[in-house]
Amino acid sequence: MVEPNERLLRALAEQLKLPLLQIARQAELGSAEPGEALRPIADVANMALQLVDGFLLSSELHAQGSLQLEPVSVSSVLFDTAHQLDRLAKLYDYKLEVHLAGKYGPVMAHQASLLAALTTLGYSFLETAGQHEPSKPLVLGAHRSGQGIVAGLFSEQANLSTDMFRRARALYGGSRQPLQTTLASAGAGVFVADSLFGVMSTQLRVARHQKMSGLAATLLPSQQLQLV
Amino acid sequence: MAEILLIEPDRMLGKIYASCLKKAKHSVRLVSNAQAAITAIDKHIPSLIILELQLAEHSGVEFLYELRSYTEWQKIPIIVQTLVPPNLFFNNKQQMKNLGIAQFLYKPSTQLAKLEREVRAVLRLVPA
Repeated sequence: MVEPNERLLRALAEQLKLPLLQIARQAELGSAEPGEALRPIADVANMALQLVDGFLLSSELHAQGSLQLEPVSVSSVLFDTAHQLDRLAKLYDYKLEVHLAGKYGPVMAHQASLLAALTTLGYSFLETAGQHEPSKPLVLGAHRSGQGIVAGLFSEQANLSTDMFRRARALYGGSRQPLQTTLASAGAGVFVADSLFGVMSTQLRVARHQKMSGLAATLLPSQQLQLV
Repeated sequence: MAEILLIEPDRMLGKIYASCLKKAKHSVRLVSNAQAAITAIDKHIPSLIILELQLAEHSGVEFLYELRSYTEWQKIPIIVQTLVPPNLFFNNKQQMKNLGIAQFLYKPSTQLAKLEREVRAVLRLVPA
């Protein structure tokens, strides 16, 4: 039986072929016309590094065992994530938006893990740009639910179902395309995000936000402010 | 100069390959999935198809079978340019021949200059 970490590593290794290929071919194109053609290389390389870092963070935190959660502002993390993904979104001609439905206080989370999870998840969603109409945005969204605050990535054209995602969880690290209905790649960003949410004792799942569907996790509101 | 249909799910890679082929004076239509490819071919039959096998929704292999099921599309030459490793695909050479795959290129080992050369080589074999 393959250990979960090894499966994630295999999915990551498969995934990394894509940004490395983008870098290599863009550099080749740019060798004739440097400047403009070479600029995307840094953005792609940075995202690949974020993906590796996300994996290492999840691996380290899982090895530690218990994790001290802290009050974290979901809206700040969503805006930080949008900032991280912005340049790559432009390369993919994918409009990025942050939607915060309602007002809420901080949630109990691990700041670095939450940011890394949403960023690596965003990377996977950006890859689907080719399937989408240019006018439809990719949304970093949050809303209140009965169980807590739901935060994740959503789009009008995400082709996801709970069943599909359950199958994908069983397939990653073994299949080159565990989420084939949505992603042409290994989708390692999704599973790295899943692992990071696992560290925070929550789980990525298929969710809806306004008229969109996507992948999100439910985070528990911080009780601290309620004492004030 | 040929009209090439490029089926590439990654938008960034699609732009790179399209740019390279346009510099080689070909006309390029870029689509990202099998359904869009079928629609594009229905509108106008290309001189050559360059296909990634790892597509979202329907795979490149499913697309190939569908393409070859149409009599009028059986002779369109195809270059498979893919992230699927060659050792996983070359097991069935007869199948490759039946599907009219003129060339198989593994993306990590195919630089843009090589892609251009292979496109030229395949187009040279196409009857006028």
